[in-house]
Amino acid sequence: MADISAGPAPYVYVCTRLRVRKAKLIPREDYLRLLNMSIPEITRFIEETQYKREIDELASSFHGNDLIELALSWNLAKEYQSIQDITPGVLKRFTQSYLRKWDIQNILTILRGKTQGMKPGKIREILVPAGEMDRVFLDRLVKEETPERILEALKGQSVYPAIAAGFSTAVSEGSFARIENELYKQFYENLLSEATSGFKGGKQFLEYIMLDIDITNIRNMFRLRADTLHEDARSMMIPGGTFSTDAFQHLISIEESKEFIDTLKSKVHVKPLIMLLDEMSGGEKSLREIEIDLIKVQLAQMESLSKLNPFSIHPILTYLEKKKYEIFNLRAIARGKEVNLPTDRIRSYLVM
Amino acid sequence: MVGEELVGLTPEMIEASQAGMKALGAGLAVGLTGIGTGLAEMAIGSAAVGATAENKDVFGLVLLLTVIPETIVIFGLVVGLLLLF
Repeated sequence: MADISAGPAPYVYVCTRLRVRKAKLIPREDYLRLLNMSIPEITRFIEETQYKREIDELASSFHGNDLIELALSWNLAKEYQSIQDITPGVLKRFTQSYLRKWDIQNILTILRGKTQGMKPGKIREILVPAGEMDRVFLDRLVKEETPERILEALKGQSVYPAIAAGFSTAVSEGSFARIENELYKQFYENLLSEATSGFKGGKQFLEYIMLDIDITNIRNMFRLRADTLHEDARSMMIPGGTFSTDAFQHLISIEESKEFIDTLKSKVHVKPLIMLLDEMSGGEKSLREIEIDLIKVQLAQMESLSKLNPFSIHPILTYLEKKKYEIFNLRAIARGKEVNLPTDRIRSYLVM
Repeated sequence: MVGEELVGLTPEMIEASQAGMKALGAGLAVGLTGIGTGLAEMAIGSAAVGATAENKDVFGLVLLLTVIPETIVIFGLVVGLLLLF
């Protein structure tokens, strides 16, 4: 594909394509309609949108919620692969680095699934082969009998050292949270070094990474506070964002909720986040509501960054994130309907 | 000054020089506006191809938008023609 020397034309081309795709995402009104539909109606609805090919392909072998889950995963993976095909030069490099997040998610899904004794077919349904590890490799991992054999199969991959280091503890504790934390730390470290290695457009990529790290750290702060964890939480912070390790620990240790929010507000500079914190200081919100609000803040900030830098990595990342949450929303609706959750409850899980 | 420099030139030579300058001006008018049009169409054309790749229905509209900067080179051509004739 065209190189950076081809001038701005390839950037304009790919950013326009992704803007058009973003405009085709399911709007808020349709989610509200979907909330009142049954599973077959939801299947028919999404068949009329961008998911037609996947639904048609899988309809003969699957039905109900399984069909929706698999079609969504396939569509997301296909979409991410197609974006990697059309992005030029350095944008492709940044996009591929960002998509490695899915490798972490896929490996952890497989490890957790295997530990809990889930069937390979069920694990396969929720994998999204959008990163470096393709469907064939992930299928091989899913077919392995035990978590130990999965670890063996991962030898040679960039994630192997971090997983191997905490593997025995994780298996004995039955929790992969620490491994997950280490993998994400390594992932963000790699992203930061990529963004600061002098490539054109690295500054914009760095802006996004810092925003992502900040939002993740703030979400972790709320989670840790909700757990009333009193041990040293420094190791759980992802470095590279606005917060220093000491500031992170200090914020978590603040007992009073209002004081915590005020201190947090004084440390952040993102306007939608400040507005959200203002709103929070007025009344109590549940952790789930806070997490959904933080995602909305991140998306709003990414949207404004992509308007400030219309032909950079920002419009691409904004689309990738919005597409991801469309899939999450559809999945939440389908799963909620399957277990007969009340509409209001499902609605509270949606990012719209 | 100009008068002094022209001393020694025949009227035919002056006339030929004027015609040459006009041709040069016309060439510059068309050439530079052509470059301007090209630069403007580069971004619009890329966006147009991108939009059409995603939604074929917009082809007619984006084609129209792509050729709008053609007016710049048409102005250059008009200026060139006025200079020459």
